[in-house]
Amino acid sequence: MDYCDVAEALVRHAASSEDCPTVGNPLLCDEIAAHPRLHGTWAILPPQTDELGAPEEFLARMKEHGIPALWTFPDKHRYILTASLFGGLFDLLTEKQIPLFMPISANSGGVSGWMLADYVLRDFPKLTLIVTNHGSWGQDRYFRGLIESYENFHIDTSRHELDGGIADFCKKYGPDRILYGSNYPFTNMGGPLLALAHADISDSDREAIAGGNLRRLLGRVTL
Amino acid sequence: MTDNSPLVREFMEKGRSESCPIIDTHAHFGPFQGIYFPTVTAEDMIATMDRCGVQKLVFSSHASLIDPRRGNPISREACAKYPDRLYAYWSINPNYPELIPDDLAKFEHEPHFVGFKFLASYQKYPITGDNYTPVYEYANAHRCIILSHTWGGNSFCGPVQVEEVVKKYPDMTFLMGHSLSGAWDDAFRIANDYPNAYLELCGICHHGGVIERMCEVVGSHKITFGTDLPWFDPHYGMGCVLFSHITDEDIHNILHRNAERLFGWQ
Repeated sequence: MDYCDVAEALVRHAASSEDCPTVGNPLLCDEIAAHPRLHGTWAILPPQTDELGAPEEFLARMKEHGIPALWTFPDKHRYILTASLFGGLFDLLTEKQIPLFMPISANSGGVSGWMLADYVLRDFPKLTLIVTNHGSWGQDRYFRGLIESYENFHIDTSRHELDGGIADFCKKYGPDRILYGSNYPFTNMGGPLLALAHADISDSDREAIAGGNLRRLLGRVTL
Repeated sequence: MTDNSPLVREFMEKGRSESCPIIDTHAHFGPFQGIYFPTVTAEDMIATMDRCGVQKLVFSSHASLIDPRRGNPISREACAKYPDRLYAYWSINPNYPELIPDDLAKFEHEPHFVGFKFLASYQKYPITGDNYTPVYEYANAHRCIILSHTWGGNSFCGPVQVEEVVKKYPDMTFLMGHSLSGAWDDAFRIANDYPNAYLELCGICHHGGVIERMCEVVGSHKITFGTDLPWFDPHYGMGCVLFSHITDEDIHNILHRNAERLFGWQ
């Protein structure tokens, strides 16, 4: 982050996806405790198995540990991302405006990627959902309809490599729905950094994508 | 920002560098079925190159990858509009071997074309197949450059196939497009073992640590830069190179010097 001049980062522990969230979530708190520039996120599990507690208990622990956002890995943790499993939790996330991050690779019972995002948002249209790492091929044909349909749907820049893509998107939709992301250490931090630094957009749009949008989303969370 | 060189800082501040003019060795041109492109014309391409400090770019039009008879003239037309900035690869479709003698005869008299482009995995024909033989023999005899899509685990253009052709035709230069993505150890070994085999960064430079590893195991003198433009913003790939933990000499080698040497643009 120092090398790339990144001031703060919203991070998750690798164990929150590669191991069980019951392992990864506490590990994260331990490991970032001494690093105030790192802000933690946790992964979710279906409330019915009680591994992370009832939704209200889970959110109380998020508040206790200063966790403002969550991730979902339905295929890795073997659940489906439906209202029957997550209705109570997602109603609370919507009410408290807690962002939920989902990698584009997420697969829920055979429904994946943008289709999965659309399924989730059909049931929870006000949920703040951020789809990340959407891959190097330009994806606008997939996600622009979601942008238009769901006011709290966002994408990130970690693999937003399309030439002129950020500028073209901002020209039509404005800058508010894109968040700077690097997917570091899986992905080189410098690519999305230089691409955003010199995208053909206004400085105010650039500042929004670089950090303003995420700060706004986190600022409205009420734990 | 800490510990960055003046070169990196110059790119961050200006988006380009006078002392480090980029050469893009792997690009395309025109519409493509699978992607919405905001920048699709030759004018758009030049504007992007100017924005990013790309001095020269070598491409194969998307149309040429499907139908070389229609697409190579499209490449020629774009190059003719911007000589000294745009150069093209002559695309070969091995599924139509009867056209290849004519391809080679035309290539000889085409000043805008500086090499050949293979896309074997999309065309479902292995780069080791007999239909490619006349092209290899021509390229080997004339010390030409071939840019081939290569990918780890692919039976049309994977490590086994790449090694077979670079070994058999040592006088051609073979750019391993995408550096056998995922089969890094094979790519590094081939680049080390065969002087005519080069790594190429298009579409793979985002992988955390891969550029550092290439420089460490193979050396930056065997790496060229590519963007698939109009697919990828050159700044994305350039940022991956610039913010890897490599030297300024490595950066110069990757972003322009190796291509200048290979294409004779020194």
